[in-house]
Amino acid sequence: MNTRNAPTRATSRLPISVGVLSVAVIAFELGLIQVLSTVQWYHFVYMVISVALLGFGAGGTLLALARSWMLRRFDALVPSLMIAGGASMAGVVALSQTPVARFDSYLLFVESAQVWALLLTYLLFFIPFFLCALAIGLVFVQRVEQIGRYYFANLVGSGLGGLTALVLLWLVTPERLPALTGLMAVAAGLLIVPRRARGRFLLAATASTALALVFLVRPPDPALSPYKSLSRTLTLPDAQIVLERSSPYGLAQVVSAPALRFAPGLSLTYGREIPVQQAMFNNGNWLGPITTWTRRDTTHLLDYTTTALPYVLQSRASVLVLNAGTGEDVAHAAARRVPRIVAVEPHGTVLDFLQHDLVGPTDSLFHHEAVSIHRLEPRTYLAADTARYDVITLPAVGAFGGTIGLSALQEQYLLTKEGFRAMWDRLTPRGAVSITVWMDFLYRHTLKVLATLAEVLDEVGVGDPSDHLAAARSWGAITFVLKKSPLTPAEIQNIRQFCALRSFDPLLLPGLARDERHRFNQMQDDQFFTYVDLLLSPDRATLYAAYDFAIEPATDNRPYFAQFLRWKMLPRLADQFGNQTMPFLEIGYLIVGVTLLQIVLAALLLIVVPLFRLGWRGPGKTWTLVYFGGLGLGYLFVEIVLIQRFTLYLGHPLYATAAVIATMLVCSGAGSYASERLTVDRATLRRAAGAVALFILVYAGVLTPLLKAGIALPLPLKAAFAFVLIAPPAFVMGMPFPLGLRYLGEKSERQVPWAWGINGCLSVVSTALAALLAVEGGFVMVMLLAAAAYAMVALVQARRW
Amino acid sequence: MRYFLACIVLLCGATTASAQDYTAQRNRMVDRQILRRGVEDEAVLRAMRAVPRHRFVPERYAPNAYEDRPLPIGYGQTISQPYIVAYMTELIRPRPGQRVLEVGAGSGYQAAVLAEIVDSVFTIEIVPELAEAVAGRFTALGYDKVTVKQADGYHGWAEHAPFDAIVVTAAAEHVPPPLIEQLKEGGWMIIPVGSPFFTQTLMLIEKKDGEVRTRNLIPVRFVPFTRGN
Repeated sequence: MNTRNAPTRATSRLPISVGVLSVAVIAFELGLIQVLSTVQWYHFVYMVISVALLGFGAGGTLLALARSWMLRRFDALVPSLMIAGGASMAGVVALSQTPVARFDSYLLFVESAQVWALLLTYLLFFIPFFLCALAIGLVFVQRVEQIGRYYFANLVGSGLGGLTALVLLWLVTPERLPALTGLMAVAAGLLIVPRRARGRFLLAATASTALALVFLVRPPDPALSPYKSLSRTLTLPDAQIVLERSSPYGLAQVVSAPALRFAPGLSLTYGREIPVQQAMFNNGNWLGPITTWTRRDTTHLLDYTTTALPYVLQSRASVLVLNAGTGEDVAHAAARRVPRIVAVEPHGTVLDFLQHDLVGPTDSLFHHEAVSIHRLEPRTYLAADTARYDVITLPAVGAFGGTIGLSALQEQYLLTKEGFRAMWDRLTPRGAVSITVWMDFLYRHTLKVLATLAEVLDEVGVGDPSDHLAAARSWGAITFVLKKSPLTPAEIQNIRQFCALRSFDPLLLPGLARDERHRFNQMQDDQFFTYVDLLLSPDRATLYAAYDFAIEPATDNRPYFAQFLRWKMLPRLADQFGNQTMPFLEIGYLIVGVTLLQIVLAALLLIVVPLFRLGWRGPGKTWTLVYFGGLGLGYLFVEIVLIQRFTLYLGHPLYATAAVIATMLVCSGAGSYASERLTVDRATLRRAAGAVALFILVYAGVLTPLLKAGIALPLPLKAAFAFVLIAPPAFVMGMPFPLGLRYLGEKSERQVPWAWGINGCLSVVSTALAALLAVEGGFVMVMLLAAAAYAMVALVQARRW
Repeated sequence: MRYFLACIVLLCGATTASAQDYTAQRNRMVDRQILRRGVEDEAVLRAMRAVPRHRFVPERYAPNAYEDRPLPIGYGQTISQPYIVAYMTELIRPRPGQRVLEVGAGSGYQAAVLAEIVDSVFTIEIVPELAEAVAGRFTALGYDKVTVKQADGYHGWAEHAPFDAIVVTAAAEHVPPPLIEQLKEGGWMIIPVGSPFFTQTLMLIEKKDGEVRTRNLIPVRFVPFTRGN
């Protein structure tokens, strides 16, 4: 029987079913990220999900191995896989929390049993992706002639899946999301159950639905690692969560405890009581203390830290607080009676808490007549704003005591050279940018901040950078002040007095004697001062080249301020500090490397295994590998770069990401649908992939200036402009895959599932690879490599079929 | 089958080390991890050889107690790496006749090491479960020079102040003003500052001539972090 040409009534609903399943899979993935983020380190979440997503590739592999057997059972198998996928979505989170499988990333370096738990976790989360991918792959293989419409359903469903997750995360807690997506997957399966076979599916569907409903009503309670900040805080006597809100930003919680005091870097001359504060956490990670502030306050704890430095210079009339967080710097400025305070913070839940729920403890700080609030990315605000400020403050950089590189892969546009340049442009003539950096050893954050300030001063063409820079150092932090006009003798005197009064040491000051730098607080070694002086000299590049860590300034093209690891220095560091220490120097970037390695090895295996069935030789293998592998790499490279560019442009990271992904996938879906009308031949394939390569090349050059020009537009116009920019390339990018599958279906039908698997594997590889490439070479390079991938797809020749 | 049985025997042998084994392990720990890294104070070395560290860790970690690393003790806390305990103890220059305050008893290991040298140790633990466990441990092991209190260490222990030295074993983001107040003129305080589980910097505080000065020492993590050369 030729199953391909015998559609039943039920399978006429197949495109809808594929669409619904795709919604479920993407929403499940996003929900899973949220659930795991609350219990693990983010980088491990990334690793677990990346490996689990290889389920897409594995689906193709199995399909390539058992294609005929599966196609013969298509009508029963596809709904079965969807229903099983739904049940597994609902159940895996609960299973992953059982004692056997429960993995704690914090203990990975202490208990070897955690390695097995990690492997089991991989396996568990792999299952739903594998089952669903197998179902979708089976449809693609069976309906390869109409692949355009099925791929359309898949892409549009995926796009809507992202939006669905976004909406659902406002409505329900993340733990309920897997159950909801499980129900969607079961529904997708039921849509295509053949009428005559309904009885046979009844039991499986009922059981899966019941399982999902149970976990919807009583969701599994993912146990937070005891080593997360929130867990530790909750061990304090009488600690309790007093406020909690789930949103796509994460699970925000406010904790109250009578022993909770937060005054990092406080001067040892402070002799009064440190007030008890509440603290805010997001996904179990520390966000900041809730400022206890009253309108009567004329001093603030921060007056006893180096953070007070910009106020010591002279009185201030206007302050811009970027990434205001829980409002410490806002309260500081308010206590100093600054008449105009502008706070910019993109995290919606934090602002909601402060503006509505925590009005009492903060004495309505965020409704204070001097304070205005902007819910936006700071760089987007800076680009659109025309006002000027006496002080611009940023949140403290690094972490108290140093970091272990967990933020290495986080884009921080505020800490790039362009970011500081934008701040410089918004200063009044007497204004200053102020940035506090936690001390670390080995020195990294402090040196990179100084390098950035020095290069910005070079760029704006001031005579001697030393005249514009002041810095004070406490036992735990350094505050740098970058002043628009040269520091005056009176200001220099004020800084000296402030340091003496608070037991701080001046680090940078015109006319500073070497001994003044460590009167109160001695460093591990005095080399730090040599590095500081070198960074302010014309020879700073020699330090960049010789230093163990990457301390060159970050740029908008490579906005990874917190990435310090230099691969070539690893052997030297390991030699000096021992191999075991290495993970604790810069673990974040190392984990991305380890993730990529794992994925590449697994992907290779998944790609090679079907060749035992398909044969190693024979026509078109290289073509299939290059064509579908190239598409997998190229598409995701472009998507990742566009998300970054448009996040900066639109100013709301969460919504920008959702909008870019949804627009890209829906438009690509439309492209896929339209591709059905095209005749499939080599020329068409070449033209489609070539057009994409051309689009990307042009965008690599013009996108950033275009977005810069449009950044000050009103939001609706900005959104329309964004759509106009994303839609055309996305539309064309939707064509090569379905065209290629159709072509392959005509030339070598047996290779179709292999092609689907290759594309799945390389798509997963590309996310980790893009992250590494962006860090090493920047986004422009990733775009150029995406263009190269599509060019390769256009040019690859099949020797013979 | 014989191989299988041999494995079981080896496994059982590894997990049920005798007291003698632990003494040998402890001496090796001092020789290889502490002495070699430059801790030379005889009193400190004696104390490190005397305190049964394996009795201060959860039972499942007892076989790992003398390894060169900290270990989790639950409640988000760790018992510090042996070298760090020795290093911190040496820095505060403990002598017989002194009175020392410890903030953050945790497992109680640091207090036990101090009690081998000084006259009295007052230790405060904020987590009730840990405070209760550590008090029981001191009783069981006969450490009668140590007094335990479950309280917020922020306030110190004013009734027994001033102290010759203060050891803060819980990572802190600030130095509580009452602790500076309760430190004797000429006294030393050692405190790890930083995030609790991974990255901390040891800081030595000296109160002298009415001024308080600090010295940042080594970063402490899971494993030794001192430059080889």
